[in-house]
Amino acid sequence: MGLFLQVALLKAQDAIDLSGTWGFQTDVMDFRRGSLSPRYNHLLQETIKLPGITDDYQIGYKNPYKYIDRLTRKYEYMGPAWYQRDIEIPAEWKGKKIFLYFERTHWLSSVFVDTKEVSSIDYVSVPHNHDLSSFVKPGKKHRMTICIDNRFQYNTHKWNHAHTEFTQINWNGILGEIKLLAIDPVYLEDLQVYPNIADQSIKVKLRVNNATKKQIKGKVSFVIEGTNYSLKDEVALVSTDSVTFVETTIPLGKHIKLWDEFNPNLYRINCQLNTSDGKNSYRHEKATTFGMREVKQGKNHVLLNNRPIHLRGNVENAVFPKTGHAPLDDASWERIMVLMKTYGMNHLRFHSWCPPAAAFRMADKHGIYFEVEMPMWGKDAEPDESRYNFFRREIKAILKEYGNHPSFVLYCNGNEITGNFDFIEELTAEGRKADPRHLYSGSTARTRVKSDQYYVSQQTNKGPVKVYEGLPGTDWDKNLESDVDVPVISHESGQRCIYPNFDEIKKYANSPVEARNFEVFSDLLQKNGMLDQAKDFFRASGALTVLEYKAVIEALLRSGKSAGFQLLSMNDFPGQGYAPVGIFDPFWDSKGLVTAEKFSEFCAPTVALLRYDKSSFFNTETFRGKAEVYNFSNSALENAKIKWWLTDTAGNVLKKGTLKRQTIANENVSPVGEFEISLKNISTQKVTVHLAVNDSIKNSWDIWVYPKHQHLMQSTANVLYTDVYDDVAKRQLAQGKTVVLYPSPDQVKGRKSLFHNHFWNPIMFAWAPMTIGNLVHHKQAMFNDFLTSYHTDWQWWDILNHAKVIEMQHAPQQLRPFIQVIDSYDNNQKLGIGFEAKLHGGKLLVLALDTKNDMDNRPATQQLLYSIDNYVKSEKFSPQVAVDETFIQSFLEK
Amino acid sequence: MVRTMILSMMTVFWGQPLMAQEIRLEEKASVNQVYNKAVEAENALSLNDLDIESGYVLYQTEINTDAESEELELENVRDYAVVYVDGKVQGSLTDKSKKLAIKANPGKHLLQFYVENIGRITYGPEITDNSKGIFGTITLDGNDLQDWKMIPLTVRNYPLKDLVFEQRSVNDSPGFYKGHFEHNLSGNKYLNMTGWGMGEVWLNQKYLGSYWEEEKQQSILIPSEDLKPGKNELVIFELKNNQQKKISLSPTPVFK
Repeated sequence: MGLFLQVALLKAQDAIDLSGTWGFQTDVMDFRRGSLSPRYNHLLQETIKLPGITDDYQIGYKNPYKYIDRLTRKYEYMGPAWYQRDIEIPAEWKGKKIFLYFERTHWLSSVFVDTKEVSSIDYVSVPHNHDLSSFVKPGKKHRMTICIDNRFQYNTHKWNHAHTEFTQINWNGILGEIKLLAIDPVYLEDLQVYPNIADQSIKVKLRVNNATKKQIKGKVSFVIEGTNYSLKDEVALVSTDSVTFVETTIPLGKHIKLWDEFNPNLYRINCQLNTSDGKNSYRHEKATTFGMREVKQGKNHVLLNNRPIHLRGNVENAVFPKTGHAPLDDASWERIMVLMKTYGMNHLRFHSWCPPAAAFRMADKHGIYFEVEMPMWGKDAEPDESRYNFFRREIKAILKEYGNHPSFVLYCNGNEITGNFDFIEELTAEGRKADPRHLYSGSTARTRVKSDQYYVSQQTNKGPVKVYEGLPGTDWDKNLESDVDVPVISHESGQRCIYPNFDEIKKYANSPVEARNFEVFSDLLQKNGMLDQAKDFFRASGALTVLEYKAVIEALLRSGKSAGFQLLSMNDFPGQGYAPVGIFDPFWDSKGLVTAEKFSEFCAPTVALLRYDKSSFFNTETFRGKAEVYNFSNSALENAKIKWWLTDTAGNVLKKGTLKRQTIANENVSPVGEFEISLKNISTQKVTVHLAVNDSIKNSWDIWVYPKHQHLMQSTANVLYTDVYDDVAKRQLAQGKTVVLYPSPDQVKGRKSLFHNHFWNPIMFAWAPMTIGNLVHHKQAMFNDFLTSYHTDWQWWDILNHAKVIEMQHAPQQLRPFIQVIDSYDNNQKLGIGFEAKLHGGKLLVLALDTKNDMDNRPATQQLLYSIDNYVKSEKFSPQVAVDETFIQSFLEK
Repeated sequence: MVRTMILSMMTVFWGQPLMAQEIRLEEKASVNQVYNKAVEAENALSLNDLDIESGYVLYQTEINTDAESEELELENVRDYAVVYVDGKVQGSLTDKSKKLAIKANPGKHLLQFYVENIGRITYGPEITDNSKGIFGTITLDGNDLQDWKMIPLTVRNYPLKDLVFEQRSVNDSPGFYKGHFEHNLSGNKYLNMTGWGMGEVWLNQKYLGSYWEEEKQQSILIPSEDLKPGKNELVIFELKNNQQKKISLSPTPVFK
């Protein structure tokens, strides 16, 4: 006897919940399917609990490796696996349609009833609903054996986020609802609701299936309910056909409320079908949630309910290391939607995958706009009919399954597609024809097609629209480049790499994956004597990423002609080399780098913006700011008060002023006035310019103000400034005196110095200089007169862009450069721009910084040199670590 | 059998009449006006090695041919190169098509590649090799071509007012073409680039956009605020030189 469990009967006796224990067997040799004896009813020999995946039960190949480019899956399994259950079909199901339903599986599911294969489905993005009506007998017990095959069923790109080992793993299992359904043979196969906001009505399209082969008569009764809202309607139905499409328009009255991000009003429509063939009566119900909203293509924006919206979005890559698969429950997705809202976002782009229903439900509830895609990427559009047919089925299935969700605003076929764009145009045009409730686009960031209604890209034919990094000035935008024939969304902006936080290793204890790459990285850091600095590298590069994201997002908000942006990404991407670019870790836990409150100052429906030329000034200069307000909220700001003020590092208000009171338009980026601040008498080096609209909308920018310095770097009897390491320098040292060596950057071997931390990650994009920011040893005395944090900020721009990175791997381990450059985490060598050491009995300070060119425009460099000068001429200058001359020679060009 | 019981309301769309306005481009500015300082090296250097993030570079060398047709083969073309011999177009190359027959009388000739990099590679096996331009071996009938001169071109940001235009003559080389048109305020909005090869466009000295014949999209939007009542000036930088003499405006986007 097989595994037979007393099944729990659900409501109305029409569904049997099949979650629980199932028989199980692996089939890594892929032998069973073709070899199953038609006479022998095999009994599987192990068990597994469903919903679940093989990883949950440590089934598969116990992985001995430490993958560098991704999290390591502890137990890998790719192949057919067999799941089995003996089920007694209730006798009262006689005459009914019987379906076996899997909410999500991966990716081919085949159903064997007793010894016969009866159904096979290979959707990736939607549930598998197997029609078993002709193969099971009510009152009889059947052995249901399911083969789940997670091998790639078509030759598709292995990186797409529905399957990739880089994010959610390519799991084998069955997830979400697993049930056996019985319904009357006259039933509602499909229910689609098309809102018409002008008429305040909905068009309801039903597909009624009639398996009786007889004429049926009856009616469909509708109940529409929402908060303080209820409406009933019905239509008559007469048909002899096996399939009947019913369309009806239901006026909803003037009290019906629209759905949008600010007021996500939801309604539920329940359709009850009551029919009779004269002898038997049939009943079936189907319900769906909908929102009253329409989406249209505007000139530069997506129009929602005829109003331009601006998308502040995140690229959602199915990063779920806790479970190894995307969650199927509401709570997990609600957490993400609430985080999006808290951080000022209103949009998620599901990159090369489509999430399960729970994600849509929670986006409907919280007012998040989705862009969803098929599992399509790269060369997937190159000719291959079976692959093409898979995509042709998949797009239809996505539109049917999720089309009613108001959050489903944008559809795109996939990511960065190449190949035959006639095929891409075909899909896009078919989608537009099939379902006008969404806007369509052929591919992100590749060839445009005629049916595009919007375009997500790094560039248009008018230039780049992506923003990967900030600048020390803010008087720029992407308006000109975004102004093409369709709304343009900035693709994968951001992508600034943070040093990994090795504390995350322990978070994977109960996950199907673990961060073995982090172990490799931290071992290497330890070998190189810097493991104690790991946290500082993480904090310093993380702070840099936060200030880059502020600059990136503000640039994209200044771009009123852009339809929005998609940041890559709020959370870390644990594949493609491992890209810790997020302010959240892969578990969506904050890394502690920025608060939601601070983040939403520059990412929100209404943001105060300021255009200015630069961040570093001499105190003889004047700061000029041009204020703008980005407002894509639900209303104009009537008669708004706008004020600015300047604070010092202690928070004291140094200057303040107001701009003209005015009404600030909605759905626009509006200039609201200009102001000037004389920077005379500012002595704290760093000051903050604040801008506030009506006290509630606030934003601020740090600027740096320095005195002009002349006669810098003057040698004295005790201190020799030199740009060459020569006999004069050696004699000076031998006398126990001080040498400041400032070789011209072109005389220093080593890497280019860069303000920005590495793009995405240095393992995938192994391009120079492979550094991820700088750690400043800011408490040391050489910085006494140069205000800086442990991380680099915009005042460092002119310093870092004129410096060279010294390779210090062979310096004594105790030697730590005071301006320390953070190396790629798979290399972890010691790097620096400035350091001090004992040499030949003297004191040496080395600074690989250009001090000759354009100094009149480099106030921060002047101030740093001034601070260092005071230091080397003081008692405090006392290097502790001795180096030998070969090290100095090692980084100087001969 | 399938039947639709209740018909939805019918929507009727009226097509817009298409009226194309033609613009003749009768003046040309030679490409050598936008040459930057040349870099010389034994082997062709990638854009990365030339410290160029994006844009156009001219690669040139002298060749010595023995036959009337010799096969040119490049190891890497990122992403598009137009090949000239003694100023005459021989064809174009991409990373998918890296061979070309060079037809010239036996003897010494000037071989030139005008190269444009379209964008960074963001996936696939070449992902870690983000070199752009022309690099690796370049052979003519199997013999390595060496002693290259690389000349970066300032195109997108070149001050157009400084270009010297002359009446157009028959000439294959890349260059800037200029023409004028009267704007009749009829709402024309898209520049139809059909027939042109690859390049960039400016309207009234303001950058308008880029085009490439290999793309499905064949038009560039002209924002209505950029069109002046009366005379407007159009400048096109064309790399491949398909010998187009005119261009038209279209009221709708143009796709192949």
